[in-house]
Amino acid sequence: MAEAIKLDRVTKRFGEVAAVDDVTLSIAKGEFFSLLGPSGCGKTTTLRMIAGFEQPSEGHILLEGEPVEDVPPYERNVNTVFQSYALFEHLNVEDNVAFGLKRKKVPKPEIAQRVREALELVSLEQRADARAAELSGGQQQRVALARALVNRPAVLLLDEPLGALDLKLRRQMQGELKDIQREVGITFVYVTHDQEEALAMSDRIAVMHDGKVIQCAEPEEVYERPDEAFVAGFIGVSNLMEGVVEGEDKVKLASGQKVSAALPDGVGRGETVQLSIRPEKIALDEMQKGMVSIEGTVEQRVYQGVNTQVTVSLGDGARIVALEQNTYIVRSDDRWEPGTKVKVGWHADHCLVLR
Amino acid sequence: MAGGFWTRFLAAPGLWLLCLFALPLTLTLAMSFGYVDEFGRAAYDSPFAPGALDNYADAFDPIYLPSLVRSVTYALGTTALCLAIGYPIAYYIARFGGRRKYLLIGLLVLPFFVNYLVRTYAWVALLSDEGLVNNALIDLGVTSQGIQMINTPWAVIGGLTYGYLVFMILPVFAALERMDPAVIEAGKDLYGNKLQTFLHVTLPQTRQGILAGSVLVFLPSVGDFVSATLLGGPNTFMVGNLIQDQFFAANNWPFGAALTVIMMIFLTIWMIGYLRAAAREARPAL
Repeated sequence: MAEAIKLDRVTKRFGEVAAVDDVTLSIAKGEFFSLLGPSGCGKTTTLRMIAGFEQPSEGHILLEGEPVEDVPPYERNVNTVFQSYALFEHLNVEDNVAFGLKRKKVPKPEIAQRVREALELVSLEQRADARAAELSGGQQQRVALARALVNRPAVLLLDEPLGALDLKLRRQMQGELKDIQREVGITFVYVTHDQEEALAMSDRIAVMHDGKVIQCAEPEEVYERPDEAFVAGFIGVSNLMEGVVEGEDKVKLASGQKVSAALPDGVGRGETVQLSIRPEKIALDEMQKGMVSIEGTVEQRVYQGVNTQVTVSLGDGARIVALEQNTYIVRSDDRWEPGTKVKVGWHADHCLVLR
Repeated sequence: MAGGFWTRFLAAPGLWLLCLFALPLTLTLAMSFGYVDEFGRAAYDSPFAPGALDNYADAFDPIYLPSLVRSVTYALGTTALCLAIGYPIAYYIARFGGRRKYLLIGLLVLPFFVNYLVRTYAWVALLSDEGLVNNALIDLGVTSQGIQMINTPWAVIGGLTYGYLVFMILPVFAALERMDPAVIEAGKDLYGNKLQTFLHVTLPQTRQGILAGSVLVFLPSVGDFVSATLLGGPNTFMVGNLIQDQFFAANNWPFGAALTVIMMIFLTIWMIGYLRAAAREARPAL
């Protein structure tokens, strides 16, 4: 597939601090690509370099194959949806959306036509004459989106665009954004710290930490097979248990239990590793054939509606958290009294060994 | 009791306003209807006395018109100059001042702790025929006789501009500070180059500050007499000078008071115009 953006060993330093550290990425045309990470991980700085607001200290950025070091933001074929929306308060909705086309000297009838289409795309054609200050947060967000999309850029950059909205509206806008992206077919680069958002919307996710891209893969891959302990911990909830490699595919946990787990290449005997298992992959008491199984004591039980979170102590301070589904067959709120002994099990291929 | 507290709390400022604002204003108004008696003493009179409006009738004598036109012209020129000089300064400090922003603003305000009259005298020392600037120009051989700078309209407007510049810088700076920096980036992101972004984004978004600054510079400039007295000559006579003359030279207080009242009404009209413009701006369009 054709490449929309290429970051080639890009580093950005602010003084001594490297906000973005030797990042190489390739984003395909039409892709919904997310930069995910905690605040300060460098995701916004990466986005701002693609937009042209910051210049890389080292490395190159290519837009549609062309290097853009010397291209100012106003000549780049990319548009940004800002976190604060940054709407022009002195203009009404229509003029906000028309701003870019007017600067590009698009003929007037075409501007009118395209602005109307853009406002229809975000369902705001009724509010064309309104001022930005009169709109709700969700509507302002749509104006910001229409104002960027109307220019039909090669790449749309979105900087935590849903961050200021309440949860319900967020969920709704996630769906709409994804639909719009599919409809217009423009490459989206989406910055967020919300892992659920990234998992739900993206074609691919780059997980960033301390200025580096730690893992860049499809959502399922990032969730099911995290490369590093940081990714496992940041994406979803994960049980991270320390252990020492005992021998071929055997790890001894801090609590003394020995479990079998597939070791990655190059991990040898005596090495300290982290075992990562998703809480929903853990079985309590009802074991299946071939499961790794150890003993523990229920420490805490938290009823959460759809499921119940059970914390099991394995002894010596080691803990494991299991999520038990509340289904039409079994209830999960009246079992696993704290203090009772319980069997904890998982399939070996759901247990990742991380260094 | 809440009422008792507020009564006492507002007593001091209330008294202050009464003694230093309402009372002098009433006296000025009463004086404007008065007359000068045969001994040359000013006398108050009721607005309903015969001939009470004579002073006002006199004020509309066409011989005073040039002073008024000149005052408005100088004040408009001063406002334009203050905007031309003040906006870039405010812009530079607001956008590139960084941590030193408020220090720089403080330095700009600092000279204003010195009395306006004293600061204007300093300009006399600079601009007069034998002043520092002319001496320097002659020493450098730029000119042999010096340049006529003082006693010109330019010197008066220059003095006014220097005197009131900070009243333009502060509101414009405040307006620039209130702006979300992302809005400027949005302008650039949407294909506006530096000039276009400034004209179509920054400037309109700081209109309130420009309007406020213009009023703050224009109003005192129209009524000013210090700059014209010290830096101007007979050809730069402003309304402020006219009023001052009535009180201190012609000894015709009633006429001076009438001119003052007319001036105040005139400035109030400008002020109302500004307030309405500002309100229209602030009200969201329907």
